[in-house]
Amino acid sequence: MDEHGDEKRVPEPPDAGNRPRIGVDEWVARSGERITGRPGWTGQLARALDRVPPAARLAVVVGLTALVPFLTDNDYIVRVAVNTVLFGLLALGLNIVVGYAGLLDLGYIAFYGFGAYAYAVLSSEQFGLHWPTELAIPVVVIASALLGLVLGLPSRRLLGDYLAIVTLFFAQIFVVLTTNADRITLPWNDSPTDFTGGPNGIAGIDPMKLFGIQFGSTQSYLWLSLAVFTLVIVGLHLLNESRTGRAWRALREDPLAAELMSIPVNRLKLLAFMFGAATAGLTGTIFAAVQLGVFPQNFDLPLLITLYAMVILGGVGSLPGVVIGAIVISVSLELLRDPDNARLLFYGAILLGLLAFMRPWTRLAAVAAGTIVFGVVAYQLADWIRPAWVSGSIDGGRLASLLEGWVVHPEYPTRFGNIGFVLLITAVIALSQLRGLARTLVAIPTLYLAVFVWENRLVFQPSVTRILLLGALLIVLMNARPQGLLGTSRVEIV
Amino acid sequence: MAAQARPRILELKRVSKAFGGLQVIDGLDLHVDEGEIVSVIGPNGAGKTTLFNLITGVYAPDHGEILLDGRSLVGLAPHKITRRGIARTFQTLRLFLNMTVKENVMAAAYGHTKARVWQSILRTPGARREERAIHELAEDKLGFFGQRLMGYRWNQPAYSLSYANRRRLEIARATATNPRVLLLDEPAAGMNPTETHEIAELIGQLRTEGGYTILVIEHDMHVVEGISDRVVALDHGTKIAEGSFEAVATDPRVVEAYLGTKAAATK
Amino acid sequence: MDVDFFVQQVVNGLTLGSVYALIALGYTMVYGILKLLNFAHGEVYMMGAFAGYGVLTVLGGPLALSVPVLVLIGLMLAAAMLGAGALGVVIERFAYRPLRNAPRIAPLISALGVSFFLQSTALLLFGADFRSYETYEFVDLASGIHWGPLNISVVRIGVILTSFGLMIGLTLLVARTRLGKAMRATAYDREAAAMQGIDVDRVIVATFFIGSLLAGAAGVMVGLVFYKVYFLMGFLAGLKGFTAAVIGGIGSIPGAMLGGLLIGFAEAFITGYVSSTFQDFFVFSILIAILLLRPSGLLGRADIQKV
Repeated sequence: MDEHGDEKRVPEPPDAGNRPRIGVDEWVARSGERITGRPGWTGQLARALDRVPPAARLAVVVGLTALVPFLTDNDYIVRVAVNTVLFGLLALGLNIVVGYAGLLDLGYIAFYGFGAYAYAVLSSEQFGLHWPTELAIPVVVIASALLGLVLGLPSRRLLGDYLAIVTLFFAQIFVVLTTNADRITLPWNDSPTDFTGGPNGIAGIDPMKLFGIQFGSTQSYLWLSLAVFTLVIVGLHLLNESRTGRAWRALREDPLAAELMSIPVNRLKLLAFMFGAATAGLTGTIFAAVQLGVFPQNFDLPLLITLYAMVILGGVGSLPGVVIGAIVISVSLELLRDPDNARLLFYGAILLGLLAFMRPWTRLAAVAAGTIVFGVVAYQLADWIRPAWVSGSIDGGRLASLLEGWVVHPEYPTRFGNIGFVLLITAVIALSQLRGLARTLVAIPTLYLAVFVWENRLVFQPSVTRILLLGALLIVLMNARPQGLLGTSRVEIV
Repeated sequence: MAAQARPRILELKRVSKAFGGLQVIDGLDLHVDEGEIVSVIGPNGAGKTTLFNLITGVYAPDHGEILLDGRSLVGLAPHKITRRGIARTFQTLRLFLNMTVKENVMAAAYGHTKARVWQSILRTPGARREERAIHELAEDKLGFFGQRLMGYRWNQPAYSLSYANRRRLEIARATATNPRVLLLDEPAAGMNPTETHEIAELIGQLRTEGGYTILVIEHDMHVVEGISDRVVALDHGTKIAEGSFEAVATDPRVVEAYLGTKAAATK
Repeated sequence: MDVDFFVQQVVNGLTLGSVYALIALGYTMVYGILKLLNFAHGEVYMMGAFAGYGVLTVLGGPLALSVPVLVLIGLMLAAAMLGAGALGVVIERFAYRPLRNAPRIAPLISALGVSFFLQSTALLLFGADFRSYETYEFVDLASGIHWGPLNISVVRIGVILTSFGLMIGLTLLVARTRLGKAMRATAYDREAAAMQGIDVDRVIVATFFIGSLLAGAAGVMVGLVFYKVYFLMGFLAGLKGFTAAVIGGIGSIPGAMLGGLLIGFAEAFITGYVSSTFQDFFVFSILIAILLLRPSGLLGRADIQKV
């Protein structure tokens, strides 16, 4: 007894009877959360969101997206929403293969393309087939699953790296096939048959008509894809919580141990492959119907890296994670198309990055101020040395006008932009090697260089910039936060 | 009058396995009767874990037969062998670390459950019944270890467990496959004397309460002495002694294998 | 049978094969030490080709060279090899080293990122157009060996000889020097090598440097023989180089050389006798077949994992 007369609380051994130890058990039970939970307000926000039941979260996201056509008249924005939902579907499918079964499938987009082309063949003038949609979609989905089976069979025994290369080859082969399959001579025909329309693809795809509802406008396809998305994500969630999902997760953890615990590893890998392929095929049909045509370049490698960036950013293995990843990246890529929006994105990202990594805020303020000063000095210096160096102009909206007089903008931006790019890479490399004061100092010209390169080269070439940024994103993610936004940090046996 | 011979549940006949030029198992004969606890001892590199790998189908033997209840296991995929009734633990733990304690055990129930994909998605009554049964099975198997893996522990990730609890979890997971034979690979490795004593008792309970036939690889001779009905000593992939613990422990060949020729001479 | 055509394909195969062998060596060496597939290797090769082109342009371009041809080629090779080597070292340092103990998927994704980053960098800096070495402007392609059915231009002779020279150099390096011994030890068992006092990090850097160096040389040589360089050339060449490494047995240096030659011959003969459109398809089928039937490749060891 201590001086207050209470019994001293000594932790009792774990199985000293079944007496409940008030407060202690729960505290121990929550220890995992404390260790892995994110600190600060982001952590609290995440935990608060976790308490909202998944069904409600899904309803909110789907509901908000469904309202988009009522919030804007701009058909382009509705189209962007449709694309985002389709990306979300694709990300869900990829999540099964990569996240649940742990298979690095780089040929995933081939299934997407197959689904789109198959639907196109069944519902257009290509072969004169106009199958009813209720028939075409299931047939395509099953065919995609079978294709997944066929391609998965030789892939079962391949270790991660080999699987990646082999599937990458698949993707390449698919593009080659579709581009060249317009002149195949079948033995029983005299003239060559055009299977896929070659480089021009297949156009004139029938709009979908499901159970009497005719789909044609972009809004209608938005609601259709949302409905499909909801079905798929609910189905996957239920599957994940079942014996198959457990087996997949065990397979991802340790395939050998799983096999020895009665789990047929090869069969489950195939199942994952097929599910992924089927999801991709299904998404392909909707894509074909929306775009009213399919072309080989719809399914090229930049799409692959976009998908992977979505899944990795969101968090491999996490259903809500990949959906968020899809939304973030899809919207960002759309913003990149228009220079003004792209600027918003770029400078916003820089600000976020600085806020996240530059602590304390005094350092952040110093760097920001330093960069501004540096810029002004650099501009004046460049103007003094040779006016042609600053005689270019920045076209754009309000943000652009803010930058006049600060960003050096030469008459011929391309060459300077390129040199700046190389310098920027060198500066970033140098930055990562430095510490402390040197790092803060070098950060200033690096930031300015980044803005310089952005304004002079990148902002005008969205298609290149997006790949550049996605590639860089993947590298940075793997280094800094491999579990993405919503994935859990995993413990791995090396 | 001889007691009725217990059936040989597991039998290895002249099994050999070589890796490259190294003969790891050489003409090994081994049998385990139903309900027995047999310990396999031997110096490092004697081929003990390889033996387990051969039985469970990780490797295929170059020669010889491996029979469970008289039916051959050679050439079967490991998950099929497990379903036939053999489960194991690992010398270096191989838990599903990022899954919860309960999920680790539930995952192992895959082999004797049959809910299909569409049944799981649609949550048919049959599937739901089976899920409940799997939950109960897991709770039951985990309950074998007293309170250590019960209650709030069920939902904790496996990586949060202490070493001793991890070893227990691995045993629980193995029992969830509803095996007839348990292969325990160094279950007491790395444990302090109290935990070792507990594991030894546990193995006995596994036999009496669980009805499992157990084949154990162990280095700790106190454990071997305490639990074994029979001891088999291996060296360089062959059996050098077999019998009761006293007989094997004093066998000169066994002493020589562990301690060298001089020690055998002085025994 | 058209002997001339056949011999021509043999020559093509030898030329292609020696280039693929150089690329395959980079893959195999890195895999041997790190058990990692360096996806970005193809882009390093592409950058080497562009580096050579850069030197060519700086020195006056194909029509108005300011230095003798041999000096030009020497400089191109030097620039490409050193540049590619440096690039390889930087890639290792930033994309792979931090992930050395991460699950296998992480460096693969990182490599994917690097590959696309480099591709788009090339697109940004050099544009989407094909650039041409236009070798015919500064080398007389008619000179060479013309003996019966055998017709090899001096450029191809140079390429074959240089490639073989580099391969011999590498073999000597690995077999006779201390660095080579350290590389072999690290490839065999990284931890044990570290415990023997080998600076594993340095060995890895050296491996990347040498592998990328060879890829850079291959890039220049492809430019000299086939003229065209463009930002996508690394992708397909990388895939084929990897296939070659696997066929020969990944991790085995003689295997990579053998595999490269095999793929080169296969491609030459398929293009010559069947069609060029489906040659990728064919190479791919070989890869699948090898991985299924003999995953350790022709000269590789089967990896024995202790369970």
